[in-house]
Amino acid sequence: MENRITSHEAQWHTSVWPLVISVGILFLGPLAFSFHFVYKNPFLTTLALGIGAPLILLSIAGWAKEGVEDVHRYSEGHGIWAMPVFILPEALLFVGFFAAYWYLRFTAPAWPPPGTPEIPHVIPLIMTIILISSSIAIHIAEKRLEEDNYPGFITWLAVTIALGVLFLCLKGYEWSELFHEGFSPSTNMFFTIFFSLTGFHGSHVLVGIGLFLCALIPAFWGKASKPFVTASSIYWHFVDVIWLFVVSQVYFL
Amino acid sequence: MSAHVKSGFKEWIFTTDHKRIGILYLVGSITAFCLSGIMAVLIRLELWSLGPTITDDPTTYNVWLYMHGAVMILGFQIPALTGWFANYLAPLQIGAKDVAFPRLNAFSLWLFWAGVVLALLTFVVPDPPDVMWTGYPPYSVVTSGNTALYSFTVLVMGFSSIAGGINLIATIIFMRAPGMAWGKLNMFIWTVLAAFTIQLIFVPVLGSAVTMVLFDKYLGATFFNPGMGGDVLIYQNLFWFYSHPAVYVILLPGIGMIFEIVATFSRNRIFNFKVAVYGGVGVLVLITGEVWVHHLYTSGLADWLRVFQMVTTLMISVPVGILMISLVGTLRGGAIDYKTPMLYGVGFIFVFLVGGLTGIPLAMASLDLAVHDTHFVVAHFHFVMAVSMTFAIMGGTYYLFPKMSGRMYSETLGRTGFWLFLIGVFVTFGTMFFVGLDGMPRRYYDYQMFPQLENLHKVQTIGTMIIGLAVITILISWIHGLVAGEKAPSNPWGSRSLEWDTTSPPGPGNFGGRSIVVPDDWDPYCYDKPGRTL
Ligand code: HEM
Ligand SMILES: [Cu+2]
Repeated sequence: MENRITSHEAQWHTSVWPLVISVGILFLGPLAFSFHFVYKNPFLTTLALGIGAPLILLSIAGWAKEGVEDVHRYSEGHGIWAMPVFILPEALLFVGFFAAYWYLRFTAPAWPPPGTPEIPHVIPLIMTIILISSSIAIHIAEKRLEEDNYPGFITWLAVTIALGVLFLCLKGYEWSELFHEGFSPSTNMFFTIFFSLTGFHGSHVLVGIGLFLCALIPAFWGKASKPFVTASSIYWHFVDVIWLFVVSQVYFL
Repeated sequence: MSAHVKSGFKEWIFTTDHKRIGILYLVGSITAFCLSGIMAVLIRLELWSLGPTITDDPTTYNVWLYMHGAVMILGFQIPALTGWFANYLAPLQIGAKDVAFPRLNAFSLWLFWAGVVLALLTFVVPDPPDVMWTGYPPYSVVTSGNTALYSFTVLVMGFSSIAGGINLIATIIFMRAPGMAWGKLNMFIWTVLAAFTIQLIFVPVLGSAVTMVLFDKYLGATFFNPGMGGDVLIYQNLFWFYSHPAVYVILLPGIGMIFEIVATFSRNRIFNFKVAVYGGVGVLVLITGEVWVHHLYTSGLADWLRVFQMVTTLMISVPVGILMISLVGTLRGGAIDYKTPMLYGVGFIFVFLVGGLTGIPLAMASLDLAVHDTHFVVAHFHFVMAVSMTFAIMGGTYYLFPKMSGRMYSETLGRTGFWLFLIGVFVTFGTMFFVGLDGMPRRYYDYQMFPQLENLHKVQTIGTMIIGLAVITILISWIHGLVAGEKAPSNPWGSRSLEWDTTSPPGPGNFGGRSIVVPDDWDPYCYDKPGRTL
């Protein structure tokens, strides 16, 4: 411990990844979106995606590498605590959408608005089961990691990721069916809300899968940051809970 | 700082040190301030005379006003207060070596800069955003301007400050030096904690609102399209549900900094400290989420809602009043030393009072119906927020200048800048109240219907030039201090608080290898006892 403190005072600490990932986000998010949707310029869109995506992937890898090598020791342990704090704003993001939904629903003359078809209930039920199982799977993975059982950890983490991917595939299938039948967000208010809420939730599933990949890859070299795994799994449970809200209020109510 | 510590370009741009990140926030936010200040000058030049003055295209005026409002708030005040001050000062005051998550800290810094870049794109893209800082639909959805830039600027800056908030809250909870109990914290720490709590709760709601605008405009959603059963009131409510609390995100660290300055330069304890923390800071956090409807008195909401939030709005002036009483009480019996930071501290009290007192009539729904969307409101919020918090930022930057740069600024230049600023503010915004009461509407690029107001408009534009001069003087004083200032001692102001108990500037790890342990009777404002170093 003494050693570490001295080493800390001897130099200014640096990391290139925060800067690189921010540049990546700038290109992949705002710039690619603007080029595509506002200026309708395929060349610039491709360029922005081509710059943004590699930068982000590169810096996630670099960041995760620093993390498992524990270069920046000050964060030790507090990560578990930061995730619940991050979930508070995340939850409120959904609160904004749900508030809009219920306001619109209560002020509508009829709900669902005329012209809304029956959305089949089988797929969302399967998706719910998948997501709940994945929460159990990541819980088992955590247990294995605590026992320092790396093969077990890798297996269960991979199961979680697979279930998440399956969830997204089903969602994609459901969406494409609807698109084929000619429904889109602009059809009516129900579809505006349907696509916004399920799409928004889906993007969170994607982030969760990304977090798990960051844990999976170093695990093959027998390295893992336990706080990071715990934090990602807390995030995953949260995404799960949000899905219960989405599925119950959008599909079944 | 020991000489052998390597510090080149790389140690700055890739830094994860909270002090350097704070300074990079300062650079970014002052850049944003200058740019959007130039927009303010353009706005005022346009209003100099009746009819088109420097542009005959109203959309151009809208773009300036968009730049001015959005960048002043998102790019200047919030990052300066929660990025620069909180990052630099909070870890030092609690005796920590750094923040809890140094790399996350650097991440929020660069996301903030990404937001600045997005705002700057306004100058180069075709069809720049022209939606004001509020981005109200339906205009923001139907305009040919690039609303996506607006939404993304809000989202990127918002995410940056959520990351910053998680970081500093974790830092304050877990990284306090041994012995630094909750009861021994500085006022500034409490205000930062409160500001970030508000930020974490309310920013995402704004995020959801601007995302809905994106969905509506670009992805075919119909949230705000009345023809499809949508309702723009959803946006207005969600927007102000965040943006009223946002003024407390700005106010709290600002007034926290003013408390530090006033206590140091009056050599006095903070008057009524506990009441100010619980009754002022605490109660503000509790009721800040129940007052947003005072921005929507004319939007056609139900009467019970308007009356309810009128009452809560009037109530919220109580905690703010408590904070003011503590500030003034701290001056009482103090040995006041009017150095530049203290001038800003006292100037803050005056400017803030003018803004606060003109806010009380605005809180009454019946009166606000008459002056809503006039320059009276613009004058009010410039006093209460724009100018008073700029005073806090300038004063705080002068206060920390010796610590962060290791050099002293010139008092003469500093004081000149302050007086020019104060005069310019009263000339500009004092006059603005009267123009507003006479009916001058907000966000109009011309005032053909009020030819009698032309002279008062000229006065305001002259006032703006004085403010411009003040800002130039301030910048010169900083640059002059950096290149030619005398070397600063570690505690030039004789403060008792922990951040001065280290070299100027502090090296990596903040306290030069010492592990800070805080004694039982520690008090950052113990001016009645001899001071000590830990
Ligand atoms: C430095 C001198 C400043 C001057 C001369 C100035 C001038 C003005 C004027 C004349 C307007 C109203 C224009 C109109 O409604 O047509 C305005 C709007 C505004 N100003 Fe300033 N301002 C200054 C500083 C600031 C600062 C420091 C802030 C920081 C928060 C700020 C925030 C705003 C906002 C939010 C608006 C409303 C924009 C909108 O209507 O969307 N201003 N300013
Ligand atoms: Cu308000």
